[in-house]
Amino acid sequence: MLILKAVGALSVIGVITSTILATAAKRFYVEVDPRVEAVAAALPGSNCGACGNPSCFMSAEKMVSGELEPNACVAGGQSVTDAVAAILGADTCDAIAMISARHCGGGDRAVRAYEYAGVRSCAAANRLAGGPLACSAGCLGYGDCVRACPFDAIHLDERGLPVVDPAKCTGCGICVKECPRGQITLLEMVPESAPVVVRCNAHDKVKARKANCSACCIACRKCERECPADAIHVIDMLAVVDYTKCTGCGTCVEVCPQDCIDLYGRAAAVDTMAADGRGGGAITNVTGKRIEAGA
Amino acid sequence: MSGVSQLALLFIGAALINNILLTRFIGLCPFFGVSGNMETSIGMSLSVIFVMVMASTATWVVWEFILDPLGVGEFLYIPAFILIIASLVQFVEMYLRKASPVLYRAMGIYLPLITTNCAVLATATEAAKPGFFKMNIALGASLSLGEALVYTLGVSVGFGFALITFAALRERLELVPAPRLMKGTPIAFITAGLLSLSYLGMSGWFGL
Repeated sequence: MLILKAVGALSVIGVITSTILATAAKRFYVEVDPRVEAVAAALPGSNCGACGNPSCFMSAEKMVSGELEPNACVAGGQSVTDAVAAILGADTCDAIAMISARHCGGGDRAVRAYEYAGVRSCAAANRLAGGPLACSAGCLGYGDCVRACPFDAIHLDERGLPVVDPAKCTGCGICVKECPRGQITLLEMVPESAPVVVRCNAHDKVKARKANCSACCIACRKCERECPADAIHVIDMLAVVDYTKCTGCGTCVEVCPQDCIDLYGRAAAVDTMAADGRGGGAITNVTGKRIEAGA
Repeated sequence: MSGVSQLALLFIGAALINNILLTRFIGLCPFFGVSGNMETSIGMSLSVIFVMVMASTATWVVWEFILDPLGVGEFLYIPAFILIIASLVQFVEMYLRKASPVLYRAMGIYLPLITTNCAVLATATEAAKPGFFKMNIALGASLSLGEALVYTLGVSVGFGFALITFAALRERLELVPAPRLMKGTPIAFITAGLLSLSYLGMSGWFGL
């Protein structure tokens, strides 16, 4: 008898609630833009948040309403961008893949202010009066980024500088977070198509800078004058590339008296040494200079 | 003893002295999950107040008119209440989506999160069937609908109060030069512990 009552009670409650829900589903039906569903299906659905939205569905809504570009999905890459662009009827849109780049060419050419004998970690060294380098913005070279990279894309080369293998780098940005000088963009995420990268991060006075490191940018503005695309400017005594304009012609690389601008990443014809991630592969570009490939 | 003073005691007891988050430790997932920033915490708190009051009303009615008279409440209340609360939240979500897209956008993310939150289930159970969680002053074996609503309002306001306080603390913690191993969640846990201690300091007020 008790069992019957229990089953009856729960059945009654179940029937009532399901009836209410079924009616509500019909009565309160909201027309949803079918494109939102389609875009949401095209997105990875991992809700990673790299686009700045809490969920893939929300970014799908924003893509349909035009608040977000079809290439907003960082994790999805080109294939997802193409799918979304096709659904929205937009022209195809390039995915903005990012890779990591190091803005320092110091390594063994950077002057040491003192002999550091502590833990071989950039974070630890950086705590000791800003690290052993005389330059306060240079790469310390103890490889915190190397150990942090989950994709085995960074390796120290013989100069003591971390070299990013652009073929392995996924643009996750963990190395930038891990680098104690990532805040001052020693390591920075740059567009994957970035053809050149400036190998200096110093903002102090040029005279002091030259005493600290023989590989620094001396703010001579030669690159700025010679660039046919008006893509490189000396801002705050440091050459900065505007990747929206850079065509990758390599003029700045050629004219830089300090050799502190490198052809970069996949724009450079990387030799096998660099492609398999071992050491800084040297490449030969149009000018015949030896240039480090990768970061 | 009854009347307004009794209701006020019920409210204060539920909101502060027996705060559901900080002295009962129920519903801690949203407490740590949502408190990362102030805006989401406020949204979550309002949603919780709204859902808890509705859920308590529904469970109270079901207990009073279906489960208790049939004598099956003792062992059937958990599945019955889960069923009711889940359907109710689903219904509210549908209704809001149609009636007020703005409100839906504000609460939409949090409503499904609350659907099967233990805090909602505990409060709704306690309102219908007092004494189970020992979360309120002994008012006897049952609450009237009015008392149940005041009690629920107290719990949910206490939930919101604790959550928003904690979110404010966490936003400040972001700027603190904490040791790297303590950054983020670890220091949030320690902060929550201290906050909980401060709430426990209120036990014994008004003889509660």
